[in-house]
Amino acid sequence: MKIGILSKRTGNFTGKMKNYFEEKGLKVKIYTYKNLVLNDSLLENDFYILKSKKLFFLYAGYYLEAHNIPVIPHTEISFQNKNRIEAHFLLKQAGLLSPQIILGTAKTLKKHLKHSDFPLILKPLMSSGSKGIKIINSLKQINAQEEEVLYLEKIIVGTHYLAYFIGDDICVFEKKPFENEHANVKEIELPNDIKNILIKWKEKYNLLFGHLDMVREDNTGKLFIVDPGTFPEFSNWNCENDAVSLVCNQILNHFKRTKNTIKNNK
Amino acid sequence: MVKIGIIIDKYHLENKVTEFLKYLNTVAEVSLYVEESYFLNYSDLKFDEDLFFVKAKGDLVLSLAKLIERETSIPLINCSKGIWLAFNRFLNSLLLKKAGIPVPDFSLNPIGVLPLFENFIIKNIRDQKNYTFNPKVEERNGNIKVSDERALMEVKGGKEHYEYLYYQEFIKSKWEYKVYSIGENLYFYKQLPILVNPDKMKSRKKIDEIQELREYALLAVKTIDLKIASMDFLQSSEGNFYLTDINSSPNFNYIKDGPKIIGDYLINQAKK
Repeated sequence: MKIGILSKRTGNFTGKMKNYFEEKGLKVKIYTYKNLVLNDSLLENDFYILKSKKLFFLYAGYYLEAHNIPVIPHTEISFQNKNRIEAHFLLKQAGLLSPQIILGTAKTLKKHLKHSDFPLILKPLMSSGSKGIKIINSLKQINAQEEEVLYLEKIIVGTHYLAYFIGDDICVFEKKPFENEHANVKEIELPNDIKNILIKWKEKYNLLFGHLDMVREDNTGKLFIVDPGTFPEFSNWNCENDAVSLVCNQILNHFKRTKNTIKNNK
Repeated sequence: MVKIGIIIDKYHLENKVTEFLKYLNTVAEVSLYVEESYFLNYSDLKFDEDLFFVKAKGDLVLSLAKLIERETSIPLINCSKGIWLAFNRFLNSLLLKKAGIPVPDFSLNPIGVLPLFENFIIKNIRDQKNYTFNPKVEERNGNIKVSDERALMEVKGGKEHYEYLYYQEFIKSKWEYKVYSIGENLYFYKQLPILVNPDKMKSRKKIDEIQELREYALLAVKTIDLKIASMDFLQSSEGNFYLTDINSSPNFNYIKDGPKIIGDYLINQAKK
């Protein structure tokens, strides 16, 4: 069996997955920006793992699926997680809360926002995680080129959590606000409401693994999802089983199930 | 009176819809949602329009379109998915090819890696902004290489800094065929290719329907999910047609009575 991995890097979680699969006797090729060409040469592998949600890896995913090569996780769900507007609707459709969204050019925002609307958080429209985000406390901090559309979210004041899931395994941590997945975190006992949210999310979109960043609002105790993700690095995962083997087995089992379904339908 | 909301950007409002709005205002109640001045607050929205018409493709426009689609039952022309696919060249080429519509060979390559076909045109990957095609032609050893200024800008810098180029096989054609689609109705024109004469309107003429182009055009708008579109076709020396571009926001002023045809179509499609 030949596996392709679409990833920005060859090391880290991607490198570990490659080693794991190769130890099982499988052939693995990693496609990064350096060697990814979107043409028929990609069709040599049996299936692909979409590790990165950057535009060209998403294009590769769409290309492969159009040629009936399975991509895990699915390209469309990965794209929807990456685009903040799409992610908002994914969460809403799953019955989960997410922060209020505001869009406009700098000039329009300055005209309509009031002092009481701050603080807000500025995020790139196509992004996930904490990359490129900025806290905006006043109108003076809103600056952009004339035609640029800015995406802002209402800040939820409360306790921030990082919640990972791989199959039925769940790891939840308390983390500092607006820090990325790799920052220091504090493991906590799994609260029931967080567990229920993860199950709801996973089942609604048939996800094998992923993460949700969430905030429990101080005033209401409600949980808001501030950042969903299809393929984290699992750098803080410290559950009993190792994240790499759990993820790789989820992927292999899913591929076998998909293959059998296709065979049975023929 | 039917209420029509127009979701538009400043460029189209100032340059492309004067006649259309003049007509539409006589038959409908029109409200404008302009990208550069609209404050989009997802938690505070009320719409009473019977239909929205989208005449732009920027980020705020798409976000508003998605919101209307998900939160209301108001018809939207074109839908957000169709607009998104139309400006993503690689994705629409992929879907059109899969649907059986002949498109020129295409690939997305990292800078420095040439495509497998010898004659090619480098186009911008995302045709989302309002600027015109600015071609540079190189002819070497009998091969033609055309690049678009916008594509090179995408790669060299600016906000959309990519490390990839979109290559489309170059089809040498005597004429460029332009098909406008408004609902089920198609309008056929031909003109000299823009590389031969940059003033495309100078040589443009209305032509009789070409059955083959009709079939491809109807299948293309169905595949990309567009109600209003324009499509460019080239014809190879063997006589085969290839769909080279699809546009979700065509300039309908080029069709005779275009503004009225579009206006009447929108009223007909409005929520009953």
